[in-house]
Amino acid sequence: MNITSTQRNGFAAIVLEGDVDLSCSSALRKELLERTFERCDIVVDLSRVGYIDSSGIAGLVEAYQGARANGTRFILAAPSVPVLRVLRLARLDRVFTIVESVEPVPAVAATPGESLL
Amino acid sequence: MLPPDPSGAAGDGPSRHLDLIAEMMAAFARSQDVEATLRLGLVRAVERLEAEAGSLFLLEPDGSLRCRASVGPVDVTGLRLAPGTGIVWRTVEANCPQRVGDTGRDPDFAPTIDDATGFITRSILCAPVAAGPERLGAIELFNKRGGHPFSDADLGLLQALTASAALAMINARLLASLAEQEMMQRDLELAAEIQRAMLPPLQGEDSPVHGVNLPARGVSGDFYEIVPLPDGRIAFAIGDVAGKGMKAALLMARTASLFRCLVKREDGPGRVLAAIESELHETRLAGTFVTMVAGLLDVDTGRVVLANAGHEPPVLYAKGRFVEIEGGMPPLGIDPRLFADGVPETVVDLDGGALYLFTDGLTEARGVVGGVMLGAAGVLGLLDAFTAMSAAERLQTVLHALGGAVTLRDDVTLMVVEDRTRPPSSAVQRLFPARPEVLAEIRATVAAALAGIGGGAEVVEACVLATDEACQNIIRHAYKGGEGDIVLHVSREDDSVVIRLMDFAPPVDPSKIVSRPLDDVRPGGLGTHLMRSVMDTVGFRPPPMGIGNLLEMVKRIESP
Repeated sequence: MNITSTQRNGFAAIVLEGDVDLSCSSALRKELLERTFERCDIVVDLSRVGYIDSSGIAGLVEAYQGARANGTRFILAAPSVPVLRVLRLARLDRVFTIVESVEPVPAVAATPGESLL
Repeated sequence: MLPPDPSGAAGDGPSRHLDLIAEMMAAFARSQDVEATLRLGLVRAVERLEAEAGSLFLLEPDGSLRCRASVGPVDVTGLRLAPGTGIVWRTVEANCPQRVGDTGRDPDFAPTIDDATGFITRSILCAPVAAGPERLGAIELFNKRGGHPFSDADLGLLQALTASAALAMINARLLASLAEQEMMQRDLELAAEIQRAMLPPLQGEDSPVHGVNLPARGVSGDFYEIVPLPDGRIAFAIGDVAGKGMKAALLMARTASLFRCLVKREDGPGRVLAAIESELHETRLAGTFVTMVAGLLDVDTGRVVLANAGHEPPVLYAKGRFVEIEGGMPPLGIDPRLFADGVPETVVDLDGGALYLFTDGLTEARGVVGGVMLGAAGVLGLLDAFTAMSAAERLQTVLHALGGAVTLRDDVTLMVVEDRTRPPSSAVQRLFPARPEVLAEIRATVAAALAGIGGGAEVVEACVLATDEACQNIIRHAYKGGEGDIVLHVSREDDSVVIRLMDFAPPVDPSKIVSRPLDDVRPGGLGTHLMRSVMDTVGFRPPPMGIGNLLEMVKRIESP
């Protein structure tokens, strides 16, 4: 898995590439929690993730909770088919704010829990 | 009993010698050469107690006392005293200090030394050098200057000195014996290393014969050999030398090298064993013997010729059944007359299966829980669980399974001779280290196995996800992040894909593995829910031989 972190439209944009499993989920969690701690609005680009398991999902859930506590925004962008499948299996597609396109992030993002898909 | 102190001096306690006692204790504590310090102590004691002369006697290995240092007008260093001679012997034998005010009135006083040297002994103060009951020698002082006898305080000082001397000597001896033990241990470790280096190298995956050895500790009496012959057949042997330590190790080395040499010369394993017996008889290693099976595999026909000298019977696994190959001779190295008519051979048709050979270290391994012997049945039960694995991996897996689950009292050696004429199994079974980094490889293995077995993209996706989640649970919860193994099994049974994951961790309580309520949004606990969502059934099954945990997940290929 590759993680790149950039700024996009005032969001901290975290781009994930490859497989997200137990071997790298702690690196993802660390990155997400750091951005959350800095009270950034976060968008996670999941378009190039080939596989994600529960350990990766757990990191996303934790960051989502942190953002909610902060009152910041946490958005999942363009999840690939495998990611969307696992999100649905876990019924988390109803919890996360999910947007179809990575760019541009809407100036006024949807409220948490409202999927734009 | 000591005679009363004739000086009767008040305030003359040993406390006034505290400076000397402290000096000598410090000297003994940092001494590299205890005897030199003892000599210094003797000189100091003679000075401080105003004696005319003094001697240090130490017990020799032959039981005599020898003078190791001497102060005074006459040097008696090197003098030997046979047991029973004089006041010094009385001190050592009684292990109790002696004070003689007037030698003329003590019947035990031996004037021989005075006679030989011209020295006139009037009074004696002698204290044993001893640590508890262990006697090491004595320090003897002669003639207090000024004509007085030695006092209680004098005795107190001498006893304080001999006590620290004794401690220093015992310490030095312990250190020396420890160093010797360490050297012996290093020798033994080196011997064990050399021995392991003599075992055959790991065979390639395509070899039909494999062996593994797990040494219990120290040098081993087990061995195995794999020798490919020029005509394409493969000779092999497994053996166990009775007895322990260096002697058994040397006999093992000799027997193994005899096998390697003779197998190229003699025709058939029966003749090889008879030839080894006759060579061993020449070397006469009384008190030890060797149990051994020698065999020859014809790779093209899948037939094995076996000869057994007192070893555990090899076991054939074919068509789902285990059969012991009985018969054979007594062990090698007992009586060559037993082998006068040679060793009978048995021909075994592997029949698409495999032949297993092992040493009793394996069958006598005891379970950590309950302490029950694994037995041949237990070993076979384990082998049976891993039949879809490659032969080399199967042996490793059995050893890994045993590693966590049994206490080894002896070396374990296990061999397999496999029929390469058999059709390969359609099931996939592989051993992986339980680490997050191999999860990608495990997922790829499941996907590849399903490509061979059948099942659409949805089945593959489901099985890959469920296997990954189950492996995560094993890594995180069964092994708790520590070292371990995962056995992955993927097969097709009727219209279903069956995935079995086995670990060798302590048993997991399935009731504690619960699916998280989905309304409760929080990290963790998701994995089990995902597994149950994508597979048709997920459940723990009794693991082979009760070792570790076995999770079975089934996915139907054709939806009803």
